[in-house]
Amino acid sequence: MGAEYYPAASRLPSHVCRLTFAVCRFTFHDNKTQHMLKNYFKIAFRNLWRHRVFSFINIMGLTVGMTACLLIFLYVRFELSYDNFHPKADRIYRMVTDLKTPSETVHPSGPAWAVGPHLQFDLPEVEAFTRVNFDNLLIRKGEIKFNESNSIWADSAFFNIFNFPLLKGDARTALIEPFSLVLSESAAKKYFGKQDPLGQTLLVNAEGKPAIVTGIMKDMPENTLIKCDVILSMSTISQYYWKGINDQWGSYGGLTYVLLKPGSNAQVLQKKFPAFLDKWNGTEMRKIQMFPTLLLEPLKDVYLRSTRDESKGNLKNVYIFSIIALFILAIACINFINLTTARASERAKEVGIRKVAGAVRTQLARQFIGESMVISMIAFLLTLGLSCLLLSSFNQLAGKTISTGIFTNIWLVVLLLGIALIIGMLAGIYPAFVLSSFKPIMVLKGRFATGAKGSFLRKSLVITQFAISTALIIGTIIVYSQMQYMRSQDLGFRKDQVLVIDINESDKRETFQQLVAHIPTVKATTLSGSVPGGGHQGAYSEVENGKGDMQIANLDLYFVDFDYISLYDIKMAAGRPFDRAYKTDSNNAMILNEAAVKMLGYSSPEQAIGKRFKQWQHEGQIIGVIKDFHYHSLQSPIAPLTMRMQWDRFGLLSVKVNPSNVQSTITAIEKQFRTVIPNRPFSYYFMDEFFDRQYRSEERFGRLFLNFAALAIFISCLGLLGLASYSTMQRTREIGIRKVMGASVSNIINLLSKEFLKLVIISFFIAAPVAWYFMHQWLLDFAYRTNISWLVFAAAGTLAVLIALLTISLQAFKAAVANPVKALRTE
Amino acid sequence: MIELKHISKWYQVGGKPTFILKDINLTIKEGEFVSIMGPSGSGKSTLLHILGMLDDANEGEYHFMDQPVHSLKEKQRSQIYKQHVGFVFQAYHLIDELTVYENIETPLIYQNIKTNERKAMVADMIDRFNIVGKKDLFPTQLSGGQQQLVGIARALIAKPKLLLADEPTGNLNSKQGEEIMDLFKQLNKEGVTIIQVTHSEKNAGYGSHIINLLDGRIEKTN
Repeated sequence: MGAEYYPAASRLPSHVCRLTFAVCRFTFHDNKTQHMLKNYFKIAFRNLWRHRVFSFINIMGLTVGMTACLLIFLYVRFELSYDNFHPKADRIYRMVTDLKTPSETVHPSGPAWAVGPHLQFDLPEVEAFTRVNFDNLLIRKGEIKFNESNSIWADSAFFNIFNFPLLKGDARTALIEPFSLVLSESAAKKYFGKQDPLGQTLLVNAEGKPAIVTGIMKDMPENTLIKCDVILSMSTISQYYWKGINDQWGSYGGLTYVLLKPGSNAQVLQKKFPAFLDKWNGTEMRKIQMFPTLLLEPLKDVYLRSTRDESKGNLKNVYIFSIIALFILAIACINFINLTTARASERAKEVGIRKVAGAVRTQLARQFIGESMVISMIAFLLTLGLSCLLLSSFNQLAGKTISTGIFTNIWLVVLLLGIALIIGMLAGIYPAFVLSSFKPIMVLKGRFATGAKGSFLRKSLVITQFAISTALIIGTIIVYSQMQYMRSQDLGFRKDQVLVIDINESDKRETFQQLVAHIPTVKATTLSGSVPGGGHQGAYSEVENGKGDMQIANLDLYFVDFDYISLYDIKMAAGRPFDRAYKTDSNNAMILNEAAVKMLGYSSPEQAIGKRFKQWQHEGQIIGVIKDFHYHSLQSPIAPLTMRMQWDRFGLLSVKVNPSNVQSTITAIEKQFRTVIPNRPFSYYFMDEFFDRQYRSEERFGRLFLNFAALAIFISCLGLLGLASYSTMQRTREIGIRKVMGASVSNIINLLSKEFLKLVIISFFIAAPVAWYFMHQWLLDFAYRTNISWLVFAAAGTLAVLIALLTISLQAFKAAVANPVKALRTE
Repeated sequence: MIELKHISKWYQVGGKPTFILKDINLTIKEGEFVSIMGPSGSGKSTLLHILGMLDDANEGEYHFMDQPVHSLKEKQRSQIYKQHVGFVFQAYHLIDELTVYENIETPLIYQNIKTNERKAMVADMIDRFNIVGKKDLFPTQLSGGQQQLVGIARALIAKPKLLLADEPTGNLNSKQGEEIMDLFKQLNKEGVTIIQVTHSEKNAGYGSHIINLLDGRIEKTN
């Protein structure tokens, strides 16, 4: 073919030419692209280096923001993951009960003991059930003895319903026989070391009944509400310790979980419960006037959405932190966009020259977007490094191991990479758009109005940043003042210098008490079943009310002895405390608190004195009314409380000690304990610490809040610093002129700061109402809460202004003291 | 009014001092109109900056109205400067973000003059320069001659005794330049001492004295 064309070449010059030209152009174009890319990168890195301060602020802000966001994301994901790992989680429900008495509706921890075992007879939807009851099992092996605070009783279907894999033993049979024990790996190691624990014997409870280890389970993960180390078969209870438990319709306790058959509907099942209860227990219900309702909570919702006290998570906090994470990310992005657009005009000359040299708009736009992506990629890499470094301290801050590593989930890294790319893109688009639109002639002649473009955008973004930061400052102050309020509030009892010793209902309690009372540094002792801040009984009670009727109610019950009220310094409102002089006090006397008196309809505490009561096979008279004291944390209101004496219910010894030499007092008490109650471990706590532990999660919340608020402010200030230094640079000429006109240093600082302060003040007025609204909502969770005083806002506003002022004036000062001649010579 | 004794100014370049001004001795009496001439780099602007107290000499004495400027503290110096000196630039150096009115008003703000008084002074000045119609315009909306007029008005607003001008007509066409020089002459007659830096023989001719600078030294005065 070619041979035919060669001779004719002279006739077709244009074709050949065009062809070669096309080839040339193609290769040339390819070369150009390469050159262009190289050129772009060179310029990108040179720009980063030349403007080190800006680059540093940009990269640092973005890195810190993304790190905070990533950590919060891990935290939120952890909070949302509770009990989600069970393959059957969608079919598992927790049963809860509302108990309606003539006086109130109470919420026991779970349904009556009999409910679980009876489900199978009437309700085909239920595939399996297990009751779970947290206990404090005493376990011994030779000299090794522990009070296992993380021990439970569970029915045999436990391992069928939940996904807690057994390393040894048979999951189907492990919990069938009485006195079967399943241990976690770490618990097994504690008792048996390297020995094979399966089939071995451990002694349980005070009397030391032998129990066989029938299974070893993997240590339970952190994100389950059923976390325990020791499981004792429920049949141990039903066949040995409490024979009638499976038919207890009037006794509420423990938790009950059910597994529904595939395809069955929880709503439909729930509608069958009233008939079910009526069939088994209707007569009794009507007789004692207590009407339970059974409800099903999806397992996945229990941690965050349950309305019961046992739910330990807080959905509100999860939302709050998610929002904070988004805010921090937004602030970091805003910095990025602000600084890039602010600096855009500096690049104008480069754009002009490139355009004169033949660059088209899209090429320029691509270059600028590329540059901002370079920055976001650097930030991404730094984020990975920083998160790895901070993870363990963040775990500590959060109070739990939310994650063991950033790279354990590759999707997380991919997600972060995606976010980084999008941020780079978004932050690059606007400057790219603005810059590439410059008219080259205008730019090169120097007649380019700088700074004014996009200054509205920048101002609104700065306002947004500072509004967020100020809102977070306000939030932090309120969280901390609420915590301060809860700590400083008069609780109605004294909790200092009180030591509580767990004697676990040992029958040697009185001997032990007398020995302790004789220690010289001990001021007073008292036995009881409960102490403030701890658990207590809830008892079916009948008390004579204002109308003379016996009113039925489920009342909180403290078992206390004679000296309890005086040791804890609880004040009397009427009548008298328990007294050794009255023989009837040990069995037939009751003390109420003011809340109970109010519930019964008496207008004054005195009216309740001498009225009749019946409670748990005891009856007698009200002998006194105590003033309300906070026996729960300040999150919950003070409920009606009854106090009675019953010696076999006393498991705790409270000891008021001399504040000097507490340690030797404890040693002396421990010595007595070892001789009197040798088969139990000695454990004690200080009352004040014990009570305050109820605020631990608030404290954690406060700490996290504080940290992230500080971060947000830090990033905002970085941005402000960048903008301020940029704005001063822009106004170098103006500052020079003003100085020549006679402006002093303070005049100039004033001039430069005023502009930004205005923005900070506007942002305060946006932040204050928003923060007020949200913090007011947050405070509603507390029955006793601090007022949001205007001082909080004043303090937050002042703080924001001061921080901003400090940031800006640094730059302004530098500009103000510079020699004006230099600024003006540059023209 | 002004007395310079042995004024020298130098920069260190590679360890060696490079002189910009060397041993300048100069006396200027009140009411004079002095032009400083010389080729580029002869030190004209630096001399003007030192006279205007915007820059310090490395050596020598500077007496302004019998005050030893070289030994005064920054604060006192700026006090003298604010009261007695006005500056006019070749590139006008107006603040783009402020209107003509506000530009002229600026020096008064830094002298803590009350608003009412300020208003009256600026109004007088605007009236005198015939720019009433332009007082709300921004510098970029004016021609070069008009901008320089504003620059001069601003320099004069605080009623200085000394007006320093750094090539005030350098960016203007000849007609505009003439107008400005006529204005200077007029001001000089009214008693303002003027020192200008210029390249133009013709402009220099407006003054009573000419100082010729070459390589940082005074070549001749006439």
